[in-house]
Amino acid sequence: MAKPPPRKPKKKVCVFCQEKISYVDYKDTGLLRKFISDRGKIRARRVTGNCTQHQRDVATAIKNAREMALLPYTSTAR
Amino acid sequence: MRRYELMAILDPAIDERTAGAALDPFLKVVKDDGGSVEKVDVWGRRRLAYDIQKKSEGIYAVVDLSAEPATVKEMDRQLNLSESILRTKVIRPEVH
Repeated sequence: MAKPPPRKPKKKVCVFCQEKISYVDYKDTGLLRKFISDRGKIRARRVTGNCTQHQRDVATAIKNAREMALLPYTSTAR
Repeated sequence: MRRYELMAILDPAIDERTAGAALDPFLKVVKDDGGSVEKVDVWGRRRLAYDIQKKSEGIYAVVDLSAEPATVKEMDRQLNLSESILRTKVIRPEVH
């Protein structure tokens, strides 16, 4: 049995480091929506490609936005 | 003196145009204690992501201000007591 060719995972670069954004604003729901699934869950770092610090900032911002009803805690799509 | 950012969700029953005025008595607490209010930004009526106090809409307002920590604490306390304020959040933007 021939082994399938090894997949080369493309290294993602953190968008915030690229754009040199130091502060993730919890009011910017358009941006934060990119980091939640259609169920409203926060996307994992291996999906978003964020660096450790920015993933943490994004998570905090999303949680703040949820408290102010800007983003859903859960959304029952499906 | 520290810089703060206050976000408040107001009751949708009040008029959108008077939303800024509805916040004035609370911002007066800051002004009286030597703080300053830099900017009041009323976003207007917005759909809430989930119901708060059985209401599905709210009027959002964002206020930039600088004041002493104790002053802000007192203002937030009064905001929480008010019936026309559904929710508040005070953060310090530059800490993050």
